Amino acid sequence: MSDNILEVRGIHTFIGQFHILEGVNVSVPRSSITVLLGRNGAGKTTTLRSVLGLTPPRQGEVLFDGQAVNGKRPYTIAQMGIGYVPEHRAIFRDLSVRENLEIAERQKGDLERHIDFIFELFPDLKRLIHLSGGNLSGGQQQMLSIARALVPENRLLLIDEPSEGLAPVIIEQLMEAIRKLAAQTTVLLVEQNFIMASRLADQYTIIDDGQAVASGKMRDLVQDEALVQRYLGVA
Amino acid sequence: MPVSWRRTLQSNWFHVLVLLFLVMFPHLVGWITGDSPLGVGGRPRGQSVFWQLIFIELFIFAILAMSYNLMFGFTGVISFGHALFFGMGGYILGLVLEKTGAASEVGLAAGVIIGIVVCGVLGLIIGVVSLRLRGVYFAIFTLAVAEMFAIYIGRWPVTNAEDGFVLSNLPAFLNPARDRLTYYYLVLILMIFTFLFIRRLINSPTGSVLLAIRENESRAQSIGYNTLIFKLLSITLAGMIAAGAGMLQVILTKKVGPEILTVSFTVDPLLMTIIGGVGTFSGPVIGASVLHLSERIFNREFIIGSMSINIGQNWSLILGIAFILVVMVFPQGIVGTWAKWRAGKKTTLE
Repeated sequence: MSDNILEVRGIHTFIGQFHILEGVNVSVPRSSITVLLGRNGAGKTTTLRSVLGLTPPRQGEVLFDGQAVNGKRPYTIAQMGIGYVPEHRAIFRDLSVRENLEIAERQKGDLERHIDFIFELFPDLKRLIHLSGGNLSGGQQQMLSIARALVPENRLLLIDEPSEGLAPVIIEQLMEAIRKLAAQTTVLLVEQNFIMASRLADQYTIIDDGQAVASGKMRDLVQDEALVQRYLGVA
Repeated sequence: MPVSWRRTLQSNWFHVLVLLFLVMFPHLVGWITGDSPLGVGGRPRGQSVFWQLIFIELFIFAILAMSYNLMFGFTGVISFGHALFFGMGGYILGLVLEKTGAASEVGLAAGVIIGIVVCGVLGLIIGVVSLRLRGVYFAIFTLAVAEMFAIYIGRWPVTNAEDGFVLSNLPAFLNPARDRLTYYYLVLILMIFTFLFIRRLINSPTGSVLLAIRENESRAQSIGYNTLIFKLLSITLAGMIAAGAGMLQVILTKKVGPEILTVSFTVDPLLMTIIGGVGTFSGPVIGASVLHLSERIFNREFIIGSMSINIGQNWSLILGIAFILVVMVFPQGIVGTWAKWRAGKKTTLE
């Protein structure tokens, strides 16, 4: 068994006629938090979507737990054990909080098995359980979106920009939750907020202009001011 | 009364009230006009029987609109070929009743079963072939298939081409020309059954997936759902219900002809759904009521003193303007706007 639960090898992804990813490589070690860093439009979200087959790569290989998943349909890839938390708090607004969680069940009883853990991570969801998703605040929607990915037995969670547009106090809550859930599963995170990313992640990959330009341990990146300044514009 | 019954009644008081009204309606008209709901002079005549006809048509449109809403309103699949299922249902029932030589009761049962199954399979085939197309491309594909069938059936000698054929082999208990009141209650029961079935379906886990697909299909896929299967289910069920509505229509008119395959049986339920409220349970029924009753009441010439106003001449124009107004001013339709207004009022009070 490989040390990496996910291997993205030289993928090329197009959106329409635009060549977005030009040979991206990403390795995600088991039981770690790996973060994809990069400027806006660098190709981080497209990388996550390519892993899940939502924007299928035309070239290259995606290996999940040693199995090639490229060419498979998104629902098949998800059923293999990959949970996806899209950006923009992608919940189902017309469904209640409970229905949003129930819909993510892959096997009967998934929700009952994990509900205590979910409520431990996000206690707010317990009292909002019957409320419609559209009536939740931004932070609550983000919590629900992550909670939904925790309902089935996922071995890898792809989380896209969880802190986007949220108040600092909510970001702290989310960071705590992601840290706790990383104890149970592997996380591949896309995050613009470098401070949050540096406090959470074990590994990083920087994507710039559709290419993976650097990767390694997060603690090394924090020390490398030149690299951070060059690709992320953060001093 | 058990508490659960009381709760159900309390949360559905409006539906119960409407149901009571519809059950009493033929008798109310009879009581007001003095015409028996069973007819006058042993024949199906009089005001009560006339209004029964209008309400039977309304119920059939409501069933058709509910079936369209299942697909369009609850699953987000827009089709321009829904008339195909409505017409095919009518044609298959008619063919089995009239062309097989079966006894009327046997022909009716066989026609209903075969019609519903064939339309279900037809929906499945159309879905499998075309559902990978998105949005308007799928809609145009369904329109093309429906029109192709309509043109072919309109020239098919077996069904008397454009003339169609008369249903003469109906069982005696199901002859709206003789006993309209029984047919009124039968169609009313079927409309209620359709309403309850769709409500049950949408409130089930399967319904949650349909709503999720409507909201964001790729999001539903990313949590592990093969959305194609759920969309096929929706189209197939919608096709089967529409076929049932088509059968009720040909029994009512006792005639099967290519007019039941025309695009108006797609456009009308679409308008009814939009006017009533897309993705709501009562919306299609209310939309069907508003559209059908207003057409029946206003689509004619009014004489006021020496002045004559022919609304009927401009009915399509008036309908078009009304539709534009609804889409622009109340895009959520009557039920959606009402629900929004009530929710806003509740929030203000709180």
